[in-house]
Amino acid sequence: MALRGSWIKRPRARLMYWNRPVRFWIKRSTYEEQPVVRFQYKALLMAATSLQGDFVAWSTFPLLNNMLEANLRIPAISVREEDQNQDGKLDLLIFKLQLPLKAEEQVYSVQLLLTFSYQLFRMSTVVMQSLVYVQHSSSVPGAKLFISGDLRLQQRAPLPHRGLYNVYNVSVIDGSSPFASAYDLENIIRSYQDRNLTTVLSCPTPVWTIGRAAGSPFELNAEIRYPLEVIRYPSIIVSTCASSGQLDLLMEFPALTVSSTYRPGFWETIKFAWIQYVSVLLIFLWFFERIQRFSGSCSGFLD
Amino acid sequence: MAAKAALLWFFMDIYLFLSFNGVQAVGSGPSSDLNSTTAVTVNVTDANRATPADTDPTPSPGTVLPTPEPAGSGSEPAEDPAGSGSEPTAGPTEEPERAEEPTEERAEEPTEEPTEEPTEEPEPTLPTAAAEPLTESGSLLTAATDVGRLCPCDEHSSMCDMNCCCDRDCGEEVALFTRCSVTTVSGNKQLCSPPMAAYSLGTSIYGYSELQSSVRTESSSDVFCIHSQNRVDGFSHPSPALPTDSNFDSLFKQFTDSVFGLEDRAAAAGLQASAGYEYGEEMRTSGRRGDRGIFWLPAPGVTADCVDRNPAAFLKDEIRACSRRVVLDQDCQSLPALKMDTYTNTQLFAAKNEDAAVVPVELGAVVLQSAAGTQTELELNGEENLTPVLLNSDICANVVLKVVYVMTYSPAGEIMNVTVSLLLGFVSKSSSLPLNQEFEITFVQQDVEDVPVHYSGNPGYVVGRPLVSGSRTPDGIVRSIDPRETLSLLGTAVDQDCLKGPHQRSPVLFGLDSVSGCTLRLEDVVNCSLVSQQLLDVLRGPNYPLYVASFGNTPLSNQMEWVQIKTSFSPEEAQSCSIPLSHHLEIEWTKYGSLVNAQPRIVSIREIIQSNSSSLTLLSGGSSITSITTSVAFIPVSAPALPGYRATPTINAKLPYDFFFPFV
Repeated sequence: MALRGSWIKRPRARLMYWNRPVRFWIKRSTYEEQPVVRFQYKALLMAATSLQGDFVAWSTFPLLNNMLEANLRIPAISVREEDQNQDGKLDLLIFKLQLPLKAEEQVYSVQLLLTFSYQLFRMSTVVMQSLVYVQHSSSVPGAKLFISGDLRLQQRAPLPHRGLYNVYNVSVIDGSSPFASAYDLENIIRSYQDRNLTTVLSCPTPVWTIGRAAGSPFELNAEIRYPLEVIRYPSIIVSTCASSGQLDLLMEFPALTVSSTYRPGFWETIKFAWIQYVSVLLIFLWFFERIQRFSGSCSGFLD
Repeated sequence: MAAKAALLWFFMDIYLFLSFNGVQAVGSGPSSDLNSTTAVTVNVTDANRATPADTDPTPSPGTVLPTPEPAGSGSEPAEDPAGSGSEPTAGPTEEPERAEEPTEERAEEPTEEPTEEPTEEPEPTLPTAAAEPLTESGSLLTAATDVGRLCPCDEHSSMCDMNCCCDRDCGEEVALFTRCSVTTVSGNKQLCSPPMAAYSLGTSIYGYSELQSSVRTESSSDVFCIHSQNRVDGFSHPSPALPTDSNFDSLFKQFTDSVFGLEDRAAAAGLQASAGYEYGEEMRTSGRRGDRGIFWLPAPGVTADCVDRNPAAFLKDEIRACSRRVVLDQDCQSLPALKMDTYTNTQLFAAKNEDAAVVPVELGAVVLQSAAGTQTELELNGEENLTPVLLNSDICANVVLKVVYVMTYSPAGEIMNVTVSLLLGFVSKSSSLPLNQEFEITFVQQDVEDVPVHYSGNPGYVVGRPLVSGSRTPDGIVRSIDPRETLSLLGTAVDQDCLKGPHQRSPVLFGLDSVSGCTLRLEDVVNCSLVSQQLLDVLRGPNYPLYVASFGNTPLSNQMEWVQIKTSFSPEEAQSCSIPLSHHLEIEWTKYGSLVNAQPRIVSIREIIQSNSSSLTLLSGGSSITSITTSVAFIPVSAPALPGYRATPTINAKLPYDFFFPFV
C-alpha cells in the first residue's frame, strides 16, 4: 500500500521501527503481576494399573468416589503451599501422593487434576477457578512420577483495565453432581478450554522413575510454582503528543523473537522519565504561576 | 516565583518517592499484604534438610516477632502499639537462662495457626472476659526475636546437633564439626544497623575445630535504610487473637478457605416444592423390602468403563455406550450387569413424595442377536429362560448387549409407564471382550398420539443436524420418521470390501464435509454391469432419496420447497460398462433472511459420480485393489451482505441573489 512505499523511502520511520513498537493510541498494553493462587484442595486421580485397562481412581468428590466402587483406591496425600520470599503471596505448591497398589498391579499411566483459585488485583480484579491437568503414561511400569512446572496463565483475549472480572469464578468440576458425566475428563477439559482465561502447567518436565519394589506404593510428587505473569489488557491511556507527520508509527511490526522482561536500570528509567517529567512540570509551572499571581493580587486587594 | 513552584513540585515528587519506599518503615497499622514481615533472616547452608518446609527459617505466621533491638543503639520503642497491649518486647533479661525449651515450644505451638490470608485484612479480635481461652496458659507465648538466641538447626533437646554452631548443648563435640550449617542469623536488613549473630569454625592450636561466635551489628550500605523506628509493629506480625470458645469458629472461618476433608457430604435434598420430578432429577426406585433407591443407568465415567451407579436424569434423553471388563467363565452367570433381570426387575416411584404410586418396569421387546450378527425378535410367552448361560469356556449366551428404556411422563412430572427393550446376544472371549454395552433412555410425553417429527432446524438448517430428505410418490413427498434414515454416507468397516455387506451408513449432517470409502478387489469385477449396479447401490445406500428439503422444517405438502438431487450419471448412456469410482454430493446453501438471524437454506444439490474411462488395471497402477470414495461437500453460495449507505447529503445553501451585486 501507499504507507509501505513511503516507509521504505523515509529513514525516519525505519528508525522508529527498531526502537520499539511505540504506538500513537495505546489500545493494548501489558502489565506484570504475581497472582494470588491457592490450591483448592480438590483433586482427581486416575491410574491405569494394567496393560489391559484396569484402573484405580480417587477424588475429593464423595459422589464420584461412591460411583467408582471397586476401582476406588484412597491414596495418602500431603500438600504444602509455600511463600518463599515472604511477600504474602504463595509461590510454590508441593503435592505428594502415595498410591498403595496390590501385588498384581503396576502403574502404567497417571492422570491428575488439581484445582486452584486464581486472583489478580493490579488492573482489573480477576477472580477465577482454574485447574492443572497432568497426564503421563509409559510402557514401563513406574515407581515414581515427579513433576515440576509453572502454573501459567493462558489468555485468549485481553482483560478489561478495571472492574471485577469473575465470570470464571465457578467450579471447574461440579462436585455436587451425582451424574458420571460431570466427572468425565473429556467434558471437564472441553468446557475448561473453552474459557478465555485458563491456567496450564507449563514445562512440567515429568520424571518417570521405574523399578517399583513389591509392596511399596506408587509415588507422585508435584511441585507447581506460581510465577509472575504478563497480562494483556486494553488501555485507555492516550498519548499526549500529537503531530500529523508521525502517522507512520501506526505500523505494527510483530516481534519475531520471544520478548523477555527485565528491570531497567536507573539511567534507562531516567531516559524515558524526564520527557514526561518536563511535560508535566511545564503545566504545573504555568498553573502555580497563575495561583501565585492570583493570590498575590488577592492579598494586594485585601491589603 | 516559578522557581519556587518548580521546587515545590520537585519536593512533592521526592516525598511521594520516599513514601512509596517507606511504607514498610512507617508500618501504618496491620499491613494487608504483610510486605517483608521477616524480622530475622537465617543463612542456612546445610544441604541435608529433608524438605523445604523444614528450611523455612521464620517461625510460623502468627508468632509475634517484635523488631529486634539493635545492640548498642539504645533506641527503645516509645510505646507499645495499641493492638498488642499484652505483648512485651522480648529482651534477653526477661528470658530464662536456658532458652532452648521455650524456643522450641514457640516453634511448635502454632501448628493450628491458620496461614495468612493475603487478600483479607486480618482483624485481631480481642478475647472477651467471659470467654474461656482455649490455651491452658490463658495467653499466647511471647516471641523470641533476639538473633543471639535463635538457632534453627538445634533440633534435639539436651543433645548436641552436629555442625550446628549455635547449639548451646555443644561443648566438646565442637571438635567434630567440619563446618557451620547456620553461619549467620541476622535481623531486619532494612535497618541501618541490623543485629547479626555470626558463627564460624576456627582451628585451635591443637588442630581441633573451635567455635567462634559473635553478636554484632552490621552496617548497611543502603542509602535509604531505617535509622530508628517509631512504629514497632511495622516489621512484625500483628498480635494474633487469643482463640477462645466463642471466637474459634469465626477465626477458623476467617483464615480457612479450602482444606482437605471438608467436603459437603450432605446429599442435595432439594426443595420439595412439587410432588412430581423435575427436569434433571434422579428417579426413585422401590426395592423388594420397600427401601427407596435410585434408578441407575450405567454410563462411562472417568474412563470408558461402565459406571453402574450413575443415576438417570428425569427427562434427559441419553444414549451412552460403555465397556465392561468381564472374566467370562466367572462372571457369565453371576455378574448382575449381564443379566436381563437386573434391568427388568425394577419398580419406580411415579413421583418424589412418599405415597407415590409404584410403576413397574414392563418388558417391551427382547431381541436375540446371533453370533453372526442377525437379530430376531423373540415371541415372549413368559416361559423362556433368558439368563446368561456359559456354553463352553469361551462363549456366554443371552448376555444383555443393549438396554432401551422408554418412559411416559405426565405434565405433573409423574412417571406413568416404563418399558424396557433388550438386546441379548453372545459374548465370546476371543472377539467381544471387553464387552460393549449400550444404554438408552427416552422420555415420551403422555397422550401424544403421533410420533414427533424431528426437525433439522426451524426454519433454517442447524449445523450438525441430518439433512431432511424424501422421495416423490404420486401422493406427494414422503419421508421417514426416523431422522437417521436420510441421505447417508457409507461408513467404514474393518472389512473394507465394497461388495461385502451389510454396510454401516452414517447420515449426512448439515455443514459437515465428510469423506469415506471402501476398496474394490479387481478380481471381483467379472460381470461389469452387475458390479457397477451393485457398487452404485452401495454408494448411494438403500432407499436413496431424490428430494431434499430446502429448510430444516419444510412441510411435506409444500412441494416447491423440496430440492431435487441433480445427477449427471446415467449408466445406460455409456457405450462400454463403467465402474463408479467415486460418489460426491455437492450441496450449495445460502443464508436467508436477516443478517442477525440468518437461516441456512439448501439451494441445490448435485450428485457427481466419476466412473472409469480406461481399464481398472491401468487406474490402480498394477495393484489388485482400487479405492472407491464417497464424499459430501457443503458450499456456501450466499452473497456478502451489502452495506446500506445513506444517500450523500446535498448542500442546500444558496447565496442571496444580489451577493455579487456591484460586479455581476
